[in-house]
Amino acid sequence: MNRLLILIGKIVVAILRLFKRNAGNLPGIILWHLTGGKCCRMFKVDCPIIAVTGTNGKTSVTNCIAQLFEQSGKKIIINKEGNNLDTGICSLLLRYCDNSGKVNADYLILETDESHVPVVYSQLKLETLVVLNFFRDQLDRNGEMETLIRKINGFCETFEGNLLLNGDDPNTTRLGRANPNNKNVKYFHASPYAFATDKIFEASEGRFCPFCGEALNYDYYQYSHIGKFLCPKCGFGGHEPYITAENIDLEKPVFTADGHEYRPQLNSIYNIYNMTAVAGIAKLYGISSEIADNVISKYTVKNGRMETFMLGENKATLNLAKNPVGANMTLRVMNEMQGEKELLFVLNDNVADGLDVSWIWDINFSIFERVTRVVTSGTRAYDIAVRIKCSGYPAQNITVCPELDSAVEELAKTDGRKFVIANYTAVQPTRAALKRYIARLAHVSSFEMMSRQKGGKHE
Amino acid sequence: MNKIKILHMYADMLDLYGDSGNMEIISYRCKMRGIECSVDKYSVDSEMPDFSSYDLIYIGGGADLEQQHISDDLQKCKNGIENAYKNGSFLFLICGGYQLMGKFYRDADGNDIPGLGIFDYYTVAEPNRRKRCIGNIVVRTEFTGKTVDIVGFENHGGQTKDVKTPLGNVLYGHGNCTKSSHEGYFEKNVIATYMHGPCLSKNPEISDYIIEYCANHNNDAPVKLDKLDDELELKCRDIMKERLLNK
Repeated sequence: MNRLLILIGKIVVAILRLFKRNAGNLPGIILWHLTGGKCCRMFKVDCPIIAVTGTNGKTSVTNCIAQLFEQSGKKIIINKEGNNLDTGICSLLLRYCDNSGKVNADYLILETDESHVPVVYSQLKLETLVVLNFFRDQLDRNGEMETLIRKINGFCETFEGNLLLNGDDPNTTRLGRANPNNKNVKYFHASPYAFATDKIFEASEGRFCPFCGEALNYDYYQYSHIGKFLCPKCGFGGHEPYITAENIDLEKPVFTADGHEYRPQLNSIYNIYNMTAVAGIAKLYGISSEIADNVISKYTVKNGRMETFMLGENKATLNLAKNPVGANMTLRVMNEMQGEKELLFVLNDNVADGLDVSWIWDINFSIFERVTRVVTSGTRAYDIAVRIKCSGYPAQNITVCPELDSAVEELAKTDGRKFVIANYTAVQPTRAALKRYIARLAHVSSFEMMSRQKGGKHE
Repeated sequence: MNKIKILHMYADMLDLYGDSGNMEIISYRCKMRGIECSVDKYSVDSEMPDFSSYDLIYIGGGADLEQQHISDDLQKCKNGIENAYKNGSFLFLICGGYQLMGKFYRDADGNDIPGLGIFDYYTVAEPNRRKRCIGNIVVRTEFTGKTVDIVGFENHGGQTKDVKTPLGNVLYGHGNCTKSSHEGYFEKNVIATYMHGPCLSKNPEISDYIIEYCANHNNDAPVKLDKLDDELELKCRDIMKERLLNK
């Protein structure tokens, strides 16, 4: 039966290839139906599996962990395109398994959607689970966050493998108590950075102890509800750190962990947390700090995460924001920068965004400093315009351009520093629109140059 | 004109889908008209406030866990809230806040969380946690004296029954129960609804109904509100309504 299923799956992959289509999810979806929802069960995986889950940072951390092992000379399989549901992982394994379903590799490194951790790893044996953070994100798809955490907690109750948890997030830290017999629970941390605060800055969840209901005490908040917390009643949060990022300086950027200095490319506090998780995995698997350093210092992303574009003379920074935390982060970066600036906010509500956009009301726009103009775009361009207006920002400085190309034109028509925030499905179309604008600009200027060379006395 | 006094209850625990944004919107619309308004907060173990001294009492929605956390505390406020309501304070209630003013809320495991019983309705959670009423919703209302179609976002497992005076008729979405014809609860000084979004972001008529009521509450000379430029809000709503009703 297994062989037959594998064969069917492989045929689907082959047919899709024949039509030059990427075999993303479809083979997995077909097998999901044929197996009654257990599409990962038929594979034989003898090598260790490391899974990464959490609301933000999964893709970065998964890629970095994969590089740790690759640079150690191991053969790894990774779901690079972010196909992180059970059907996506099934499709991935179909590509790499032999006809009996045996998967040949030294390590499987799998980005896994939060709600699919119990689904996938009740079928495949997991060695290590990394949990980065839990924020409000796409709540309407997952029901409520509490339900989501309970699901993963249920899985952790019988899990005896390595659990590497963000020890500064009460929502992930609580998973460490799910199975009291598991001796392999470890926590990563970060010491306060320059912009850590003693009061909470953004709307968030997890302010109460999940075990006794008492309000949590915080020594400091790094961002949102991430920080050094302790329950004054039951002591939740008093765990021993496994690895801690210290001496964080985002100007450079640099941090140390276990006495070793790391120089990451991306200068945000959430990247420091991600890279500390990566260093934690290196430590856990005995990978040298030289290799870890090499991975961490070279890792950068060109997918709309703090990506820079030159709109003529004017610099524009694009950042993805899937939730208030990401957007607040960009607003902070904007504020920490001197001088005037303009913002384009692109907001979509496609299925992958979660059909609801009310998370924009948890963005703290009242902190806006020296923002001279706002352009809004996307399928919910008016929602974000209303939100910014009601924060007290002058309505006459807001321009709504639902269509992206005209929004970029509008943004670029004045000189100055630009920032662009786009949510999940808006990021790639926004990148494309920015590139189209730059291409049009290049075309126009080469045309001007040509006409000038022809003796162009047009003035 | 007197200042409008607002009490926002459990803001730190009941704040789903931008519910706290409703207070930002009320404050903004008062400020644009030069109406003074203050928002006090009340949460678990705060000092007991004088509920009747407030023009508006507002409660948002939360997850089941948070609703359990506050239910004991809310019982302590029962007399205060009930008296304030009877004395004409406005109650604006979203989702969990709506449910808890009824007789009881029976959660998915069959446990009853007692409500304040100020209104006759009651709520029973859909036992299958996966079956929730989720999505954008359009409701036709008449409470302003004109027909206004309001738009919001609902996400609730609770089925609210025995609602005698609903806020409006569902044109798209679920409403009080799965696939029901009615949404919310209305009295002249009560608007209770499942609509998040936040509810007021696209529905300036509701904001202004509440503000006008509050401005006239305990005020001798009748107050008429200045008109504001709601172009962005109304376009925002029209686009969503068009998309939902014409697909």
